[in-house]
Amino acid sequence: MSAKSPRGSLSGASDIASDFEESLRDLQRNDRFAIENLTNIARESTEYAQAISRVLENHIKTIAPARKLPALYVLDSIVKNVGTPYTVYLGRNLFGTFMEAYRLVDQGTRRALDALLKTWKEPVPGSLDPRPVFPPEAVQPIENAMIQFRTVTLQKQRQGQPPVMGYRNTPTPPQFNGQFAVPPQQHMYYGHGPQQPTPQQRPAQLHMYPQPTPTPQQYAAPPTPVQQAPVDVQLLKADISSLLGRLQGRFAVSPYDKEVQNQLNAVIQLQRAVDSGLVQDSQLHQVRDTVAGMASRYPPPTPQAQTPVPHWQPPTHLAHPQPAPTPQFQPTPTPQWQSSASFPQPHQSPQASTPFMQGPPPQAQPQPLFAPGALNGLQALLANGFKPSTPQMRTAAPALQNVSHKQLNTVQNNVAAAPPSNTADLLAALTKSGVLSGVPPAAAQPTLPQPSTPQAAPTSTASLLQSLSGILPPMSQRGTPTMAAAPMANGKPRIPFSTAALKQFRPELVRALYDEQPNQCSNCGRRFLATEEGRAKKNRHLDWHFRQNQRMADPSIGRGQHRNWYIDEMEWIQLNDFDPSTTTADAATAATEAKKQKGPQDQYVRAPAGITRNTCSICQEEMKSSYSEDLQDWVFGNGVVYNGKIAHATCVEEIKKATTVPSAGSKAMATALGGVYGGGQRQRSGTPESMLGKRKAEGALSGTGARMKMG
Amino acid sequence: MALPGLSLPGLGLHSSSTPVYGAGAPPPVEQAARKEDLEAQSEWRFEAAFGQPYSIKLLSGHAELFGVELAPGQTYSLAGCKGAIFTWQGCQLEISGEAESEYSAQETEYAVEWLSLHGMLETARDDAQVNGGPRVMVVGPENAGKSSLVRSLGTWAVKAGRTPTIINLDPKEGLLAPPASFTAVTVSSQVDVENGFGIAPISGPTVTPVKNPLIYSYPYSTPSEKPDVYKAVITRMALSVTNKMEEDPAAKHSGFIIDTPGSLNDPKSNYDCLNHVASEFSINLIITTGSEKLLNDLNRRFSAGRSAEDAISVLRLTKPGGAVERDQGYMRQLRVAQVRQYFFGSARESLNPHSHSISFSELSIYRAKAASDIEAGSSFRADDDDDYTPDMGTGTASASSTFEKVTPSVAMTGSLMAVKYCPGSSGEVMIRDSAVLGFLYVADIDESRKKVRFLAPHPQRWGDRALVWGSWPEAVPDLVT
Repeated sequence: MSAKSPRGSLSGASDIASDFEESLRDLQRNDRFAIENLTNIARESTEYAQAISRVLENHIKTIAPARKLPALYVLDSIVKNVGTPYTVYLGRNLFGTFMEAYRLVDQGTRRALDALLKTWKEPVPGSLDPRPVFPPEAVQPIENAMIQFRTVTLQKQRQGQPPVMGYRNTPTPPQFNGQFAVPPQQHMYYGHGPQQPTPQQRPAQLHMYPQPTPTPQQYAAPPTPVQQAPVDVQLLKADISSLLGRLQGRFAVSPYDKEVQNQLNAVIQLQRAVDSGLVQDSQLHQVRDTVAGMASRYPPPTPQAQTPVPHWQPPTHLAHPQPAPTPQFQPTPTPQWQSSASFPQPHQSPQASTPFMQGPPPQAQPQPLFAPGALNGLQALLANGFKPSTPQMRTAAPALQNVSHKQLNTVQNNVAAAPPSNTADLLAALTKSGVLSGVPPAAAQPTLPQPSTPQAAPTSTASLLQSLSGILPPMSQRGTPTMAAAPMANGKPRIPFSTAALKQFRPELVRALYDEQPNQCSNCGRRFLATEEGRAKKNRHLDWHFRQNQRMADPSIGRGQHRNWYIDEMEWIQLNDFDPSTTTADAATAATEAKKQKGPQDQYVRAPAGITRNTCSICQEEMKSSYSEDLQDWVFGNGVVYNGKIAHATCVEEIKKATTVPSAGSKAMATALGGVYGGGQRQRSGTPESMLGKRKAEGALSGTGARMKMG
Repeated sequence: MALPGLSLPGLGLHSSSTPVYGAGAPPPVEQAARKEDLEAQSEWRFEAAFGQPYSIKLLSGHAELFGVELAPGQTYSLAGCKGAIFTWQGCQLEISGEAESEYSAQETEYAVEWLSLHGMLETARDDAQVNGGPRVMVVGPENAGKSSLVRSLGTWAVKAGRTPTIINLDPKEGLLAPPASFTAVTVSSQVDVENGFGIAPISGPTVTPVKNPLIYSYPYSTPSEKPDVYKAVITRMALSVTNKMEEDPAAKHSGFIIDTPGSLNDPKSNYDCLNHVASEFSINLIITTGSEKLLNDLNRRFSAGRSAEDAISVLRLTKPGGAVERDQGYMRQLRVAQVRQYFFGSARESLNPHSHSISFSELSIYRAKAASDIEAGSSFRADDDDDYTPDMGTGTASASSTFEKVTPSVAMTGSLMAVKYCPGSSGEVMIRDSAVLGFLYVADIDESRKKVRFLAPHPQRWGDRALVWGSWPEAVPDLVT
């Protein structure tokens, strides 16, 4: 606890991060000391965890394959020895970070990575904390990918084929450039089966997708490579892999056909040669023609695949001259799409694997599995994970990659604002449904593919929770019904006041203090129940730590603090003692509200992530969000959730009054007008910090004697 | 800012020192960090001196320091702490720094008793009806682990989701406040490993959520030194606490735990003060860590011959084997550290005190007269740094007059004054009973210019309020130079 906030340190996040990056660059081999050192840096700079995590991810991504393993060991050491918040930040991109490295490294390193992955599913060695290093939500997609990958490899070997490894060991995957073919949203819709994109939405979403390396010839490329003067190696590679897929399909149907077998081997060798870059330009033409010739002998099984090229270049792509939706863009994705989205090796020729995966010969394959676009979709997912998102993307999917902590807070608080258990509270339920519906569903969906995990089709609440997967305890810990019930209520030993009872050791008391609250804060050791409420509390608690650390690290805030005067008797007696670290400001204010009599204009609604403007559903006037210093969040002042939408609190009040007392309307309107701009200011009086902290000048100066008379 | 003869880790002024990291302890890497494996239900006892960096990190397993669980992988700086890290399940610790004594101990039957006691209190809280949760008082001799027990019980209760109220009636050691004060605080959030119950509200960010205490002042070292003042403040405090319980059902349900000074159980006065505390707070459970004689006396007084609903349960716990003598020198250092912490904060929550120069005429300073004729106080006076000068106008005041308005004098330099909530012109009773707004440190007195320079925790002046100056706690001459 003591080591996390270097008070007075002048170095900002960028300095720390660049120091860290430099040390990382010096890491040449698996050097235990260096790795421990880096871990220590990370531990002592948890307030810069986000920056450090990003640096580490980038490093793993960009460094030479030979040095990826030590870098991943650094990641491993940090998450195991420091834990949160690194598990949160690194967990977000874990799939991308890990899979990127995995496909580039050699066989020996792969085994090391396998072992590493295995340990991530388990608790930290030697720790009694039963939670795994990374939550299953982060590891499961990798697991799934690995299983599929291994299945493919195994089946290939069984058939006497060179293992996929052989030609997969390429520095650049063939389809890597065309990776943004399928917007990840399509994947996201998966989590929200009923929420299909409307026609109006769709074009916008297609535009959202950044094209990081759009090479003109790719988009200008006609479907057939023959017409192209210089041979596009990428096209050629794609052709080869497509051809290879068909050949393998054929081979699967007739494994004893010598000709097919020979051709298959030849094509595999050809692909190796092309991938390794050994083939000269002049020879490429020849190769291309050969491939084209062979391709014509083995026509693709479905019309969509007839042109070998365009699978990485879907017609709907922005720059494409003829934007027309392809089957991939059907608003209702097929289940196969989903399963292919989890395919482990995006650049590996997908056709090769499908026959073995699915059993039936390729001709009978359902289209989506064959559509390489689906695979590209995965790559797009992967690649998007590495890219800073565009503003549009941030609007659509802020929850994960580049989300600021504040936005995360928003999501958390939206969830937290309405603990699911508290169904009795009508207002809470109203807030919940309203706030949740105010968040774009895609915003909450993690971009990490989670194809086969049970949470793949969540409700909106669940998806919100999922977006916080890094913070949440692992699935395995989600309380069993018996545990979910407050442990102190049931099964608690009844111990009378007696000397005899003192001496007896009761392990259940220890359990109640430790095991029944498995969800521990790594900052201060505080424990939380493994219930929904416990998780929500922990999220708020971690947020609180984060905010405090952030403030401590801020040189302008960190210095010049002073102790407050103690409160007087009356204030203490009436003080509503709550834990600022687990109570939302909303709840705290709600508690004090009973005593303070707040007007409707003092209410506010936390702005859902990415939403800065809103139209009052009652008066149809625009509402703008404002930043509240005390809440450290964007809020809609004078806002309240009404019928699932954010509306002026004063308008709602007016409506309520209008239904009961018809004459009160004009006055409420005046209040509404006055309250629009005052809301942001007035909120401060009710927040916990001001209540605990600042004392009003008049309060300290004008007190006339002890306020409580002696009895 | 030089601190001659005293170097307190983590309590130095941040303005002059390099950024303090881990409460002044050098990074553990540089030191010979050693690993210590503890079996289940054993503990690591240590006595770390002030000024000697000493830090402990939990490597694996679970461990707690007086109920406060250590977070894994966090380095806790425990210089100046005499304590024991206990583990229920077994753990591995990494220890760095020098301690005066440190060893692992297996004789920890006391911990089972403490935990069982916690279970009893939880049962009582579950059963709590309109009368509220258990109202516990812990009595016993000095250095018998009373405060540690109170801290453990409070922390476990918080962990169990309660909001217990912790009350400190020991003027020798402050709680969320400097010494010579009484504290009542309802604990609803995580408590701190290093700082006991954490920190009272400050203007900046904190490591653990702030606690909001109610503070009274008792500028004497023992209850028996001024029993009438002690009892009066207790009465006032009990009134506040009882009111609070009525306002806050959760707090009432959780009950409270009172920590008392060792000198409270004074057979010579026929347990006068102890009796007073028990009745004012309507105590229903008394825990003692003391001798059998004390247990007998308590039983005779509170249990025997009373009706079932009237009786107060009395339980005697084993004195923890790790409870060690804290000599006067250590206690003094502890108090200095507490005073220093009040103004300057800790390493992680450093504070800037503010200097106020105020002319004599604007001040209403009341001196709490020492009862020099009370024998019980004499044992402590021997060790006192007695700044109190008898020629300050002690005179031969009547026994009823305890607080006497004085003009500032150089004798006040280096001492602590309590700012009371009552106005400067209040009567004696009001001054005695009023709650505390804060404490001031008298940095300098310029008698020629008739100005007093105060060190105040807050930038704002306190207005027209009564200041109480006593001989306790002893003056800290070198807080500021």
